[in-house]
Amino acid sequence: MGIWILIPIFLPVVAGVLLLLSSAKAEEEAPPRCASAAERAGHLKNAARGTGAAKSLTRLHCITAAVLVVSAVLALFAAWSGDNSYTWFELMEGIPIYFQIDDVGRLFVTVFSIAWVLVCFYAFTYMKHEGKEQRFFGFYLIVYGVLVALCFSGNLVTLYLFYELMTLTSMPMVLHSGTRESIMAALKYLFYSMCGAYLGLFVIFFLYRYCDTLTFTAGGTLNLALVEGHTGILLAAVMAALIGFGAKAGMFPLHAWLPTAHPVAPAPASAVLSGIIAKAGVLAIIRVVFYTVGADFIRGTWVQTAWMSLALLTIFMGSMLAFREKVFKKRLAYSTVSQVSYILFGLSVLSPKAMEGALLHVVFHAFIKCALFLTAGIFIFQAGLSNVDQLEGIGKKMPKTLWCFTFASLALVGIPPTSGFISKWYLAQGALEAEVGAYSWAGPAVLLLSALLTAGYLLPIVTNGFFPKKKEQGDAVQKDGASAHGAMITAHAAGNASAADGSSTAAAAEAPLGMLIPLAILAALAVILGVFPTPLIRFVSQIAAAVL
Amino acid sequence: MSPIFLAVAVLLPICGGALIPVLPFGSRKQMMLYIEGVVLLTSALAISLLVNRPAEHFVLFRFTSNITLSFRLDGLGSVFTALISVLWPLATLYAFEYMKHEEHEKFFFLFYTVTYGITMGIAFAEDMVTMYCFYEMLTLVTVPLVLHTLTREAVLAGRTYLYYSLGGAAFAFIGVIFILVYGTSPDFVAGGVLDLEKIGNRTNLLLLIYVFCFFGFSVKAAMFPFSGWLPKAGVAPTPVTALLHAVAVVKAGAFATMRVTYYSFGTEFLRGTWAQTVVLIPVIFTIVYGCSRALKETHLKRRLAWSTVSNLSYILFGVALMSPLGLVGALTHMICHAVIKICSFFCAGAVICQSGREYIYQLDGLGKKMPKTFAVFSVSGLALMGVPGLAGFVGKWNLVKAALDSTHPLAVVGVIALMISALLTAIYMLTISVRAFMLSGDASAKTARNPMISTTGNVPMEEEAGQRNGAGENLSVPISNAAQSVKSQEHQTVPYEEVKDPGWMMLLPLVIFVAAMFVIGLHPQPLIDVFTQIASAIQ
Repeated sequence: MGIWILIPIFLPVVAGVLLLLSSAKAEEEAPPRCASAAERAGHLKNAARGTGAAKSLTRLHCITAAVLVVSAVLALFAAWSGDNSYTWFELMEGIPIYFQIDDVGRLFVTVFSIAWVLVCFYAFTYMKHEGKEQRFFGFYLIVYGVLVALCFSGNLVTLYLFYELMTLTSMPMVLHSGTRESIMAALKYLFYSMCGAYLGLFVIFFLYRYCDTLTFTAGGTLNLALVEGHTGILLAAVMAALIGFGAKAGMFPLHAWLPTAHPVAPAPASAVLSGIIAKAGVLAIIRVVFYTVGADFIRGTWVQTAWMSLALLTIFMGSMLAFREKVFKKRLAYSTVSQVSYILFGLSVLSPKAMEGALLHVVFHAFIKCALFLTAGIFIFQAGLSNVDQLEGIGKKMPKTLWCFTFASLALVGIPPTSGFISKWYLAQGALEAEVGAYSWAGPAVLLLSALLTAGYLLPIVTNGFFPKKKEQGDAVQKDGASAHGAMITAHAAGNASAADGSSTAAAAEAPLGMLIPLAILAALAVILGVFPTPLIRFVSQIAAAVL
Repeated sequence: MSPIFLAVAVLLPICGGALIPVLPFGSRKQMMLYIEGVVLLTSALAISLLVNRPAEHFVLFRFTSNITLSFRLDGLGSVFTALISVLWPLATLYAFEYMKHEEHEKFFFLFYTVTYGITMGIAFAEDMVTMYCFYEMLTLVTVPLVLHTLTREAVLAGRTYLYYSLGGAAFAFIGVIFILVYGTSPDFVAGGVLDLEKIGNRTNLLLLIYVFCFFGFSVKAAMFPFSGWLPKAGVAPTPVTALLHAVAVVKAGAFATMRVTYYSFGTEFLRGTWAQTVVLIPVIFTIVYGCSRALKETHLKRRLAWSTVSNLSYILFGVALMSPLGLVGALTHMICHAVIKICSFFCAGAVICQSGREYIYQLDGLGKKMPKTFAVFSVSGLALMGVPGLAGFVGKWNLVKAALDSTHPLAVVGVIALMISALLTAIYMLTISVRAFMLSGDASAKTARNPMISTTGNVPMEEEAGQRNGAGENLSVPISNAAQSVKSQEHQTVPYEEVKDPGWMMLLPLVIFVAAMFVIGLHPQPLIDVFTQIASAIQ
């Protein structure tokens, strides 16, 4: 039965690889389709592509959707059909590649799968103006398989293997547009992630020596007799792992890649990078701290203090940077930096309540941030607008999109009864209950401050969108549109802007349903999970109770 | 098997190689068949020797009663023998295609084949004197290979190589003498041969001699501060750089340090002394230093050479840990790195051969023209940085395991150095792959009509297509590309459009190496078991 676990991992990976291979072949054979990015975007918008190309595109969408939905269903089935484990093969003596399904994996794989499928359907429409769809969806499928494997990983080495693979396979999504800027961003992403992964590997070496087993066990497997006398170095190693895996989660000091890499990717890719892949870092940290080292080992040590400090610092810094950022997607990326550190702070307190809050925030933030990035994508796709100042009055043209954005924003700020409120409530309560000295009040204070800043950087978009300031509205927007938006905008956006030249928001119409529906579902999830949170809370409290 | 075959395996390629310029070959093909035949025969002989290992030794020549040239195949020697006897035929095959355009082909293959025999001699050497003799000969027969192109650069490089190697050997020779004087036996014995009674209170002197000897042999393994020769020697034709400067010669240096540490001085005598600290410091430093230099280097082969410098110090690090586990780690990394590095060098050679480009900034977009070569290169890059499932991870894992087992305080520093080096490796290897696959090639139309636009970014891949159509009105080649196309003309490169993957003789070894990386990476246990068994003889 255990072998069933492999299917949702390998099906998307194999399908993705096949797509990539056939796309490479097609690129070789096909004559150059369009002369330039601008022309190309124009062609695509006017559906000027040959019918053959359109047909092959539909086929690509069908294949991708079918593979993804089937593997998501299989993954969820494997996850929810009970505890299961499978040893794939022995990499070296004592370190098997081993999959095991437990509650944490179940939670993560469910969130990942839902968001991944929804964003995929959004991408079918969005990617039309990016081009090279086959390559994008190829990697998109592969990364899904790797993520499922990551969630199901049963020991640290397996986790590390798929963590590295995730970095390598998600990188091409960042550099999709192929501009020099996006390639630089992708390399930055790659190197920060590698740096983080090697810090993580460093601790794996130590844990291999000092733990009874690297298999994940609630409460940790540290062999205290062996550790005797090596506590100092082991604590340092755990800190290295926190910083290292924290890189993916955008935690200070390895956060700098995130605001660079997330915005240059196509919007669906930014959404999953921020919403999902950043959570992979969280998953890795949970696995190291709660399932291998054990929370008791670091409770009350300098490691816990440092971890809490870094998390709080990142929360504050991320919010501040988001507040003063004008480019929409970049603002959202900074927001991710801040929000994922909420989760890390919740974990660092090492109290059950706070951990519940953290796990809830994993779920909520995944949906909210995907929704926000999808909105940003719609603004770029429909109107070529990537700067928040250009969005004045957008609510008149695209009310549905902006409503979705509003709900997601409210949830992120944490206004009851939306989901963000629940997770933040638990986070704050957990921090207050825990015996962590000054941090038990400093934590909630920073959370509150950050919530204010979150409101400050998200809600003005809503108010300005629905209630524009009257004066020279079209003029200002147009000027901004022509000024090429600095370095942020990638070629497609520029192409789109010039295609829609002179019209700007005036020409913007409501987004097509293919994009609107996934967005609406995500926004609805963000609200509904806040209204009916009980089953979820019960589930995460089970996890927290097991490890703490 | 009879031990005389040990001598046959050494002498066959030496004689066979020496005959190459003399024999009247009707065509190039005949010569290729002859050389490949000799090499394959030797390899077959070597492998059958490994399978039926002769128990006795074979004395080739006797200087005095106890100083002899003699061969014997023990565990450590078997590993080295297996390594070279597998790689040599493949490298020779590759060399046939590569050397098509080079001059003095016959002399090249003469020395190339003779080197095989000499290296085999190092692997089979039973005692310090024999190893030392073959070690010196190795220097002498490989100098002509570095000199091959006879350009000024090559001559200088050859001279540097000669000075470094001879200097190193001189230091090593001091060690040889002391072992003969203070050892119980001139032969290599697992665990060391030092006679503690004879040493008396001269322990520190002996330790100093060990340090000299280690440094002397590590010159060939390119340890800092003796690493300068290796990147310079990259002017040699690629088959030489790939096989000799990534595997045979440099690994002979590492092999010699293993012999000295584990089989002559003995780890029991050395472990925990100041001598261990003294050798560990430069080794750990080189691990990081080599990678940093690789990162800075823009010449493709020199970058790989610096990477070799760093990776050889991984092996030396394992040796310097002076524990059985350290030896296992060192041997594992020796095998893994050999496969990976020869593979990446072969890719580099294929690129140079097919496109005439030697600098990394010229490689933009070549991945689309040579997909197979660059795919292989990317895999070897991933392996080198240590992605689990590929060979490099196995080597690193075992090294780190040994380091954490060691009680020496510098061992943890070494682990940190390994991690830093892994990160730098990721950077210097993957940037090449990303450049090759993701950036645009230098388009055939080289006019940069409006270079300012290009900095704000357009879609490079479309760009080239646009220019081919003559329709790219508002697009342009990025500045760097324009500059590069000027530069590339100086190097007489093949135009971007005409670059393609090499023929089967080059691709076959590449495919085999990739397969080997996966096999070792996914199923390394048998290999590690063998090494553990070898190391178990050492205390």
